[in-house]
Amino acid sequence: MRFGRISQAVGVLAIATLALSACAGNTGSPSSSSGGAQEGGTIGVAETNGFSSFNSGTADGNSDVNGHIGYATHSNFLYIDDKLNIVKNEKFGKYEKLSDDPLTVKYTVNEGVKWSDGTQVSAADLLLTWASGSAYYDDANPEKKTGTTYFLTAADTSGLHLTDFPEIGSDNRSITLKYSKPFADWELALGFAGNGGIDIPAHVVAQKAGLKDAQALVDLFKSVKRGDPAAPKPVNAQLKKVADFWSTGFDSKTLPSDPSLFLSNGPYIVKDVVAEQSLTLVRNKDYNWGPTPHADEIVVRTIGGAPAQVQALKNGEVDIINPQASADTVEQIKALDGVQLLQGKQLSYDHLDLNYSGPFADKDVRTAFMLTVPRKDIVDKIIKKIDPEATPLDSQIFVPAQAAYADSVKNNGSSAYQDVNIDKAKQLLAGKTPTIRIMYNKDNPNRVDAFSLIRESATKAGFKIVDGGLGKADWSAHLGDGSYDATIFGWINSGVGVTGTPQIFKTGGGSNFNGLSDPDADKLMDELIVTTDKAKQDELQTKIDAAIWSTSYGLPLFQSPDVKAYSDQITGVTAMPNQTGVWWNVWDWARK
Amino acid sequence: MLSYVVRRLATAALILLGASFLVYLLTASSGDPLADLRASNAPNRQQLMDARSQLLDLDTPAPLRYFKWLGGAAQCLVPFAGNCDLGKSVTGQPITEALGIALIQTLTLVTGATVLAILIGITLGIVTALRQYSALDYGVTFMAFLFFSLPIFWVAVLLKEFGAIGFNNFLRNPVIPLPVSLGTGIVLGVVVAVAVGGEIKRRLISGGVVFALVTAVMVYLSATLWFKTPGLGPVVIGIAGVGMAFAVTTLVSGLKNRKALQSSLIMAGLGVISWFVIQPLLAQATGLMIFLLAIGTVLVGVGVGYLMGGYDRGQSMRAAGITAFLVGGLVVMDRFMQAWPTYFNNSRVRGRPIATIGAGTPNLQGDYWILTIDTFTHLILPTVALILVSLASYTRFTRSSMLEIMNMDYIRTARAKGLSERAVIMGHAFRNALIPLATIVAFDIGALIGGAVITESVFSVHGMGFLFLDGITHIDPNPVMGVFLCVAITAMVFNLVADLAYSALDPRVRIKA
Repeated sequence: MRFGRISQAVGVLAIATLALSACAGNTGSPSSSSGGAQEGGTIGVAETNGFSSFNSGTADGNSDVNGHIGYATHSNFLYIDDKLNIVKNEKFGKYEKLSDDPLTVKYTVNEGVKWSDGTQVSAADLLLTWASGSAYYDDANPEKKTGTTYFLTAADTSGLHLTDFPEIGSDNRSITLKYSKPFADWELALGFAGNGGIDIPAHVVAQKAGLKDAQALVDLFKSVKRGDPAAPKPVNAQLKKVADFWSTGFDSKTLPSDPSLFLSNGPYIVKDVVAEQSLTLVRNKDYNWGPTPHADEIVVRTIGGAPAQVQALKNGEVDIINPQASADTVEQIKALDGVQLLQGKQLSYDHLDLNYSGPFADKDVRTAFMLTVPRKDIVDKIIKKIDPEATPLDSQIFVPAQAAYADSVKNNGSSAYQDVNIDKAKQLLAGKTPTIRIMYNKDNPNRVDAFSLIRESATKAGFKIVDGGLGKADWSAHLGDGSYDATIFGWINSGVGVTGTPQIFKTGGGSNFNGLSDPDADKLMDELIVTTDKAKQDELQTKIDAAIWSTSYGLPLFQSPDVKAYSDQITGVTAMPNQTGVWWNVWDWARK
Repeated sequence: MLSYVVRRLATAALILLGASFLVYLLTASSGDPLADLRASNAPNRQQLMDARSQLLDLDTPAPLRYFKWLGGAAQCLVPFAGNCDLGKSVTGQPITEALGIALIQTLTLVTGATVLAILIGITLGIVTALRQYSALDYGVTFMAFLFFSLPIFWVAVLLKEFGAIGFNNFLRNPVIPLPVSLGTGIVLGVVVAVAVGGEIKRRLISGGVVFALVTAVMVYLSATLWFKTPGLGPVVIGIAGVGMAFAVTTLVSGLKNRKALQSSLIMAGLGVISWFVIQPLLAQATGLMIFLLAIGTVLVGVGVGYLMGGYDRGQSMRAAGITAFLVGGLVVMDRFMQAWPTYFNNSRVRGRPIATIGAGTPNLQGDYWILTIDTFTHLILPTVALILVSLASYTRFTRSSMLEIMNMDYIRTARAKGLSERAVIMGHAFRNALIPLATIVAFDIGALIGGAVITESVFSVHGMGFLFLDGITHIDPNPVMGVFLCVAITAMVFNLVADLAYSALDPRVRIKA
């Protein structure tokens, strides 16, 4: 056939093109101009998901992109910086602890802080934020299926639920919260930190729910008593209407024709939304109650895949990207001219948990197993490709971005597990060969790699390892059901706040899957959640960290790497580990 | 006939019902919607799980949930009542609204690509059938299969790299190096030399002419920085118009029909004149105006053909009408080119016109020409990618169908009675060869609504495929069912249309009611 030789040639050509395309990195990109930040201009940002709600605090609106838009268009008494510190914004208002016992906190919004329709941000707005985030009115009982859940919030309501109905200040710009017992994360309790804070205008919700004005809403809130799941009352129709509007009324994939549905009280205001494509923010012209933004306009483009984000950055369609981190993405970004790569660490981390039952009921067996875990090899194999400077995580409670990490690591006992020590493990096992079933998500290649490395090493010490890997839809349902002896999975450090600690480590905690029950640690955690002083909290958490390590709990493995990149035509972008991401200092972004 | 249609529709409804039940159950049992929250360490983990269970109604078993869904979906059957309820997605968006948005995105993406793929595919299929076992035939077949077997995500990424990023870089200083001009000339010359067929001398001459012409044009384009300020101008429109007049007449009536040729040439001339006359009008253009102008142009062409008369008036009318349409297209294209520098220098475009993502530049403002160029620059890459991968089926289908027809007895009869080859191909073979294509085109329209999932995700177009995938990843049956309904209904309707059309086109096929 005549076909043969030509087809071979073209085939070779096709493969050559394929190979070349992989190297096609440096075909030039926008030339970089030097110079400092300037005012004005447009900045493009890529987001993975499409915008869907102007209320990012609801159960269904609580996505990353909604939170970012909420953050850029609303203000709060505080924000969290890239070192995970709480920064007060006193230009917006102030919050002060009036007393420690009972814990009493007064929030006051400054005069002149306005919604973009000109209405002063008032006590009614604070009250609505409190009502939606406190579950005060809820009397739902999930077991008996009785009662009502009013506000469908995504926020943790455990803090504000401790408060009585707030006292409203005579200036109508302040409320005072009194807690029935001290609450450690009181600073973060009011407003969804990182999502915008005081973000839903009470006067709009009141009108949309058929009330006359914000005052009528305040009166309604006052008139309804605290809900009691043990004694559910019939649904309060008016309150339900208010709550329903709060929960779903701000959901929209496009720009509503009614501007009251997207009022701003932050640096930017939404100007245009193209469903699933783009969202445009422009300066809120009244805004002077917080850090002043530089850029005139921010265009958010919805770009799903990491390669598409990188190519859009290369083609100048966006200036900032935050793609899912992988070794390929890092390579692609490094190959671009005129682009800055920001490598950081996310707050999520992988860890190995050992059950306090079965073969691991014996502490020596747990310790022996921990001594066989090759944490450095795991980091080398999984993370070094992306972040060459990665090291194993050495604390059960802190991450390196937190100031207390370094101190805690020195004394928490993690030093004993820096390197694999098969001899010592054998010694501890004293000839026993326990069979260990390790459960993990076998659809996640990182977990599979970690499992393989642990199996290889633990087998040397005499452990018999059973592969208990399950598919991605199944593994999480088995957490805590005793069908395995050890498990590898991920958790997310909250960055700020301490209420996450007892959730994992306290006896009976909601995410305590391995049955840790340590009386000393429990006592410390009981103290921790009623401690309102940051330094004292750190001290207690450091003790808890050491207590957990000393029970041979298991091992934290590594933090997930975080990859961001931005064009060198802009300045002010920094790495930020929490869910606010690059947006945390949106006001610092500027074109050069 | 009627009873046949009713019977088909009734079966379709039953199939739809059964299939929707299956799809619903499969989606609902494809995973655990709470999987991510189960492993969460958020203090409000239980609260979030309760909220999601409530949102997705997880307390109701999936088969019962299906009937709840069906109850809402059944209301869509009541016309104009506006009670259509296909449920809500995990983000609380009504599915009817999500489908509306997704359908538009998908249709803008795939309609143009499908139409072009059909046109190009059929043309290539016919040409390769007429030149069976020639180098051209092998070349086209090989390329069609090559593109067919390439993974589209890779084609798309390559297109973005070279078609968008590379081309935009080139546009900053659009000078074509001489070796590139020569190289392109040589490649095209060789292609033409291979394609024309005939004796070696004829091939060499054709190839040489094309080589010289292409190289000269590229050198000219480079020297005048044409890509910065592109345009055709009356001269090019005139020359191209005359060429088109000859080509169209050749195909429609043959050059021997002088009246048809004259009508076509008149239209080419009128096209050049209209270029001068119509510019002020085009400055106010809207989509509707362009559409009306197109119809008007064709009507003028038909009118001229009618007035020219001749022994076969119909042929003259057809030739002049088609020529008028094509020359009109050149005039419009020239107007787009005039708007190009304005678009190129727009602050939103920042001198990088070809886009890698999305369906439009956000916040771009401008007249009809600017906005349409913007749509083109965003659609061109996904369209090219889709055409490349879908070309093979049309080419091969048309080729085999055409070959089969060309070997029929009646074709031999037609040749034997002395008809010209043009009349045999265009009049007798071509039309009959298209009949089997009616079926695959109808099938493809069903597939078209289903979306080009991979192309959509590479080019960040959130259409039907995205909606479907998103529903699957969140174990949320509602969006999946919405997409399923749209795709299933279109597929069934077009299957029926294909069957009916087949019987209408081919008298040998009769529907037995």
